Amino acid sequence: MTQAMDDRQIRLDRMRYIKNTSSSRLCYLAILLNVLYFISIYKSDVGNWYYQILVGGSIVYNLLFLLMAFLASEGVKSYQINYSYLLYALGVLQVVRIFILPMQAHSATVVVNGVETVVMGNAQFIRCVIYLAGSAACLIIAGIINQQKSIALNKHLASLGTGKEAA
Amino acid sequence: MAQLNLQHLDKIYDNKVQAVFDFNMDVADGELIVLVGPSGCGKSTTLRMVAGLEDISRGHLLLDGKDITQAPAKDRDMAMVFQNYALYGHMTIYENMAFSLTLRKENPNVIHKKVLAAAEILGLTSQLNKKPSQLSGGQRQRVAMGRSIVRNPKVFLFDEPLSNLDAKLRGATRREILLLHKRLQATMLYVTHDQTEALTLADRIVCMSMGHVQQIGTPLELYDTPANLFVAGFIGLPPMNFYDVRFEDGMLKGQGFKVPLTDEEKYTLSGYNGKEITLGVRPEDVSAGGDIQTRVFSNENLGMNTLVHGYMGDNLRVTAKLRGWTDYRNGDVVSLQFGRKHFFDKETTNAIRKEK
Repeated sequence: MTQAMDDRQIRLDRMRYIKNTSSSRLCYLAILLNVLYFISIYKSDVGNWYYQILVGGSIVYNLLFLLMAFLASEGVKSYQINYSYLLYALGVLQVVRIFILPMQAHSATVVVNGVETVVMGNAQFIRCVIYLAGSAACLIIAGIINQQKSIALNKHLASLGTGKEAA
Repeated sequence: MAQLNLQHLDKIYDNKVQAVFDFNMDVADGELIVLVGPSGCGKSTTLRMVAGLEDISRGHLLLDGKDITQAPAKDRDMAMVFQNYALYGHMTIYENMAFSLTLRKENPNVIHKKVLAAAEILGLTSQLNKKPSQLSGGQRQRVAMGRSIVRNPKVFLFDEPLSNLDAKLRGATRREILLLHKRLQATMLYVTHDQTEALTLADRIVCMSMGHVQQIGTPLELYDTPANLFVAGFIGLPPMNFYDVRFEDGMLKGQGFKVPLTDEEKYTLSGYNGKEITLGVRPEDVSAGGDIQTRVFSNENLGMNTLVHGYMGDNLRVTAKLRGWTDYRNGDVVSLQFGRKHFFDKETTNAIRKEK
């Protein structure tokens, strides 16, 4: 059986023993980008209460995000398809976040010492958007890769007449 | 596979301690050589010199005629299996077995085929996704062997691979190694201090003591015709009984006992008339009957045999491996006789052989 396998079959068969590191690494990259975003928003703290509530909410969300993303990065290693859905959800939420904090902070102004000041400048806004968009892209791509691999592995296992537990 | 020539190998450490003296040996293609001896005799050092883990102080090491004395370990195309398995605990069995090939950047598909083939040989296919901590000692040692097999090396080196296993598992794994050798027909060097492993596994045994080779031969040669006192005492379980005796009047006279000799034995000792020699008798060559009165102090029933320990003559210890089940008690006196005898020169400790 081993010798009769062609390259594609061998690639599929390898998945029985090799972890899905590509998806997992993309998750780690998404986490890193999120952390960079998280660091950059603090630079805009100008003491505005509205902004502080947003940042506070963001901290809470970031904790949840890190937890979920780490969980997913472990789950996708073993080709569990459910974690793809979690990654899609996290990816979409990262996109949504662009329209909350960076976007609203970018369009807002506050008066500091009698001078009207932009809460978030253009450069910082672009940086934040890139981090969040990059993070979202990584998560969604990781989810797609995991889903495809998971489906392929399940088909392969079915053709071998064995369950996922055996793999 | 490969031929290996060890030519006059010496190992001298920086502190001038010499661990191996003039080791000479030719290992044929597909041969399983077992290096056996007590702790500190230089057997592992010799193996490590062959592997390239120790520098060779003097001499030459040839693999298929090519001098590899100075070659680094990675270029010697040899794989070593260690006593402590040396597996990576955070990797799965598959990853452990594939690791060396991954480092060499081999094609992943080729690695996969090799790992599956090795796992099939070793019966590890169902364990490939597990971590080493989830396996038994015997299975871990099989993984270590599998890691060697996937490399398809010219020579396999085993450094006391079964020492960490319990007695039952050791026996089973020993048989697996033997089957593996038959299947792969690979050249193997195997180090052990366990003479049972040596006798059951080896095509040839190298018996070492204090860094010197004492005898090289087949298991039967070492058991049947030991070259000297050391080999005679080391090979065989329980060990051989030794007595200082004098060859006089066609018989051997010891302290408080006499042993008659056959004509052939007298002929063998013809050059030692009136001289002291060492008589060696294996416990399995001692039988009931005869006229050597022995006072029993221990009776160990082993099922098919009984080990009877006692004193004969002037308090000389004797161990007899008697057939069947006996129930001698402490203080019982039994009559024993010696069958096959081994004679050793008292000065050189070499075996006395019949001159041809």
